[in-house]
Amino acid sequence: MSGAEILLEPGVIPRLLQGLWVTVWIAGVSVALSVPVGLIVGWLMTMKNPVVRLLTRIYLDFIRIMPQLALLFIAFYGFAQAWNWNLDATGACVFVFVLWGGAELGDLVRGALESIPKAQYESSYVLGLSGWQTFTKVILPQALRRLLPASVNLATRIVKTTSLAVLLGVVEVIKVGQQIIDANRFQYPTGTLWIYGVIFLMYFIVCWPLSIVARRLEKRWKHD
Amino acid sequence: MTEQVARTTQASLDVRHLVKQYANADKPVLNDISFSVPHGKVFVIVGPSGSGKSTLLRTIAGLEPIQGGTISLNGEVIETGKPGTESAGRSKRSSELRTRVGMVFQSYDLFPNKTVLGNITLAPTLVQKRDKAEAEQEAIALLERVGLADRKNAWPHELSGGQRQRVAICRALILHPEVLLFDEVTAALDPEMVREVLDVMLELADSGQTMLIVTHEMQFARAIADQIILLEGGDIVEQSDDAEAFFTNPKTERARRFLRTFEFDRHRKPAETTA
Repeated sequence: MSGAEILLEPGVIPRLLQGLWVTVWIAGVSVALSVPVGLIVGWLMTMKNPVVRLLTRIYLDFIRIMPQLALLFIAFYGFAQAWNWNLDATGACVFVFVLWGGAELGDLVRGALESIPKAQYESSYVLGLSGWQTFTKVILPQALRRLLPASVNLATRIVKTTSLAVLLGVVEVIKVGQQIIDANRFQYPTGTLWIYGVIFLMYFIVCWPLSIVARRLEKRWKHD
Repeated sequence: MTEQVARTTQASLDVRHLVKQYANADKPVLNDISFSVPHGKVFVIVGPSGSGKSTLLRTIAGLEPIQGGTISLNGEVIETGKPGTESAGRSKRSSELRTRVGMVFQSYDLFPNKTVLGNITLAPTLVQKRDKAEAEQEAIALLERVGLADRKNAWPHELSGGQRQRVAICRALILHPEVLLFDEVTAALDPEMVREVLDVMLELADSGQTMLIVTHEMQFARAIADQIILLEGGDIVEQSDDAEAFFTNPKTERARRFLRTFEFDRHRKPAETTA
């Protein structure tokens, strides 16, 4: 197969790795910030207050219905310029992914909290545990076990969705790939497949361990 | 000697004129219930489904607020009925007070994220601030008593229903509750596991643990009960300080009919139909 030599051109692999770093950075920061947002949103969703319930419901549905790309454009071209935010493309991406990840994770947290049987609260009460002790020692550990496999899957989805950042002009791994292909169009006309092949491999290396972790956790905790 | 007499005659648990009313219900679930459980005695509550037996235990444990009457523990009022609490949540009683009333539920409700030992030692270390090694030592002694010492490091999902229920009993016992409530603890068990749980309860009764038991196992009730009440529709239909007399010679027609539903006589029915 010809064109593979493109990968040996000086700078090609290091530049792709730099692009991958941008991808991983956006995804990593988004996931890290989504966790506290999701925990709070999930906790709000289990509240009995009808106004809080309605607001969180609207938030979740809005985020789910809107394509991520539309959200990115609204955040970057809409909000940032309308209110003169100093939000660069990377910032807009993180902002949108946290909104999205927080909503999805919030729904997972809500489901996990609501799936804990009432008997767990009642036995804790009868044993004299305080509300906080019940939450931290009994409910949360069980909820996290139910939550983790699905949230790791959510993290992989966030990693993959960072590819949309290209459209805001963020130079992440896909953009770097396109630049390399464009620059070498005449020298390596068949290099395209190789570059994208390497990018595929890079995404795979990032996401695969997450999938393995999710599957392991699911297996280990299936009894609870 | 006199002290012992005083101890045995004193009521561990005293329920006076208890009323339990749910919101949107025209009639109370429990209507003016009064009884007392003497120290070291076994008090059994029987009755048809929906009679309010479980609700009664739940009010004593503080899981349901009461709308009238009082609940006292060793002479100290721990719960006073207040109207307007029909849809309120659990009682606000203190952690310390809650540890003095133990309860074992029908569902196998061990904490799945803790081992057998972890389940038993959680409350003593967390609520009673006891030393972990000391709590574990007592937990192992209790497990030995119920025949589960070898399962101390097992996870709840590795245990059978009967084993889980015995661990749940240990988990309640380690707090040294003044009264221990059992809410149909064998109702969800496979028949062959019922026995192992009931045997543990019989042994507890012999050891002088004050207990209040709701059960559908009439033979067991007859074997374990010192005193008994029959509850129906939120009222006490019959109350007897002599449980054996309740079974052999019930005072009320309702009690007689209730007890008859547990008897089987295959020769009676055809005779009735031919008559």
